[in-house]
Amino acid sequence: MNLSDPRLVLAFIAAAGALGLVLPAHATTLLTEALILCLFALSLDLLVGHARLTSFGHAGPWGFGAYVAAGMLLAWQVPLPVAVLAAGALTALLAIPVGWLCVRTGGVAFAMLSLAFAQLGYAVVFKWNAVTGGSDGLPGVPRAGLGEFLAGREGYHLLVVAFLGAAYLLAWGFVRSPLGRVVAAVRENEQRAEALGHDPRRIRLVVFVLSYFLAGVAGALYAGFARYVSPELFFWTVSGHVLVMVVLGGAGTLVGPMLGALALFYMEHQLSALTESWGLALGLLFILVVIFAPRGLMGWLQAWRPRRRDA
Amino acid sequence: MDPLALLTLQALNALSLSALLFFISLGLTLIFGIMRVVNFAHGALFMLGAYVGVTAHNASGSFLLSLVAAPLAAGLLGLAFERTALSRLYAREHSAFLLVTFGLALALTEAIRLLWGADARQAELPDALSGIVFVMDEPFPVYRLLLIGAGVLCGLGCWAGLQRTRLGLLLRAASQNPVMTAALGNDVGRVRAFVFALACALAALGGALAAPLLSASLGLGSNVIIDAFVIVMIGGMGSFLGTAAGSLLVGFAQTFGNYYLPELALGMTYVVMIAVLVLRPGGLFGRPE
Repeated sequence: MNLSDPRLVLAFIAAAGALGLVLPAHATTLLTEALILCLFALSLDLLVGHARLTSFGHAGPWGFGAYVAAGMLLAWQVPLPVAVLAAGALTALLAIPVGWLCVRTGGVAFAMLSLAFAQLGYAVVFKWNAVTGGSDGLPGVPRAGLGEFLAGREGYHLLVVAFLGAAYLLAWGFVRSPLGRVVAAVRENEQRAEALGHDPRRIRLVVFVLSYFLAGVAGALYAGFARYVSPELFFWTVSGHVLVMVVLGGAGTLVGPMLGALALFYMEHQLSALTESWGLALGLLFILVVIFAPRGLMGWLQAWRPRRRDA
Repeated sequence: MDPLALLTLQALNALSLSALLFFISLGLTLIFGIMRVVNFAHGALFMLGAYVGVTAHNASGSFLLSLVAAPLAAGLLGLAFERTALSRLYAREHSAFLLVTFGLALALTEAIRLLWGADARQAELPDALSGIVFVMDEPFPVYRLLLIGAGVLCGLGCWAGLQRTRLGLLLRAASQNPVMTAALGNDVGRVRAFVFALACALAALGGALAAPLLSASLGLGSNVIIDAFVIVMIGGMGSFLGTAAGSLLVGFAQTFGNYYLPELALGMTYVVMIAVLVLRPGGLFGRPE
């Protein structure tokens, strides 16, 4: 069984959707939030795993998407799916100038630049009281234009599942596409890719924009889920957190980061009920994973199944 | 208030903030200069210094002792972390360091929450330091003047250590060309461990010094680390002069910005950081990587 088989992944996502209809109300809400985080981690994997650009500022597109969607829902009662897609599109638009500046660099400078942009977003929403509500954020974001079922707990869960499935297909299709292969080529050997006539900076920009689009969608879904946005969405610890999910699951596999998001979310909720020192355990576990299992959960899972010709 | 006096007092406030920021960013830049590692845990170590400082002060009644205990604890922790975790990663790419030090920041913050609880701790200053002096007929806390002095002393000490001692020569050599330094019979691994421990101790000393002013709270580390990143990026990673200049720039920008342009001050720091990274990726005083 190949864990990266898209049919299997989509089946899992569909199963998560069905699960939301039978689980108790509280568990369904948690699962919805976990699936939104899956989408967030998936978007970061395109940058970190596929293009090997370690972003420490993914809270930026996440927060931006959330605020844009919240603004549209509050001000104009735009139907939620439209607001989510529009938020994603605007995030992608923003990603063009931001990405153009960021992908000039790599390594530490890229991490720091992306971090600086996310913090700039934090500063703007924190201080621009008139529009963003400042430190109080924007409460009471409506799930507009969804009808009674979709705006409810189970309906919204299914909506998130649909977006996650579509996002996964998009990311998977991109990685498989000729353009996605060039991204891998640039990652593995920039000089050779350049010699073949590809512009590494432009290629990286494409991944950057796609990644920001999906992160914006995830943030927008979160705004509708929590019905509340606050500057904390932009804070750098959010960026760190989603990076942990990607690495824990296994960067560069698309499925892994989603598993990482589920695992981290589950552990946080289960362990925090069991013991007070769960955060400490989690931090230590993360250090161990980075050192001893650079390929994350997916690395372990794939080591168990029989060897295949192509991973 | 006399405008000139106001300006002077704010400049002094800015200098004392710069001094605190200098302690944490100096360690960050040292670590980067020698090991090419960005230490995300540096804010958490600053915070650890604040907590250990408050506890040591309350337990022993001696403020001076807290300034010894905090760097000692953080230095030992840093040494252990470098030997057990970081030293395994030097062959790997940058992102592994970012991630593993972020893990340390998480673990350390949680450990502090477990040990000290979620409430903020405020350190009481000894009577000798809690007084005020009059600067241009306006009252000014003695302790802030002391911080400025400590920052200057630390800067001069580190500069002299780097430029005038044999150990400093070794550090600079290891920073410029670790392979050649090792080939000349020096143990670069030990140099790295020493620098990491020293940098952690400096951050904790800054934290212990900051505790009476800012109080020790759980958000302290994640807030101060961003300022330190801004400083180190503006000044140039690994540049001693750049770090001093960056600390002054950010200290003054925050103090004056919060007074005159409270809406824009926070964002402006990040705009400057972005501009420097885009225009001069190595920072104002650094070499491009």
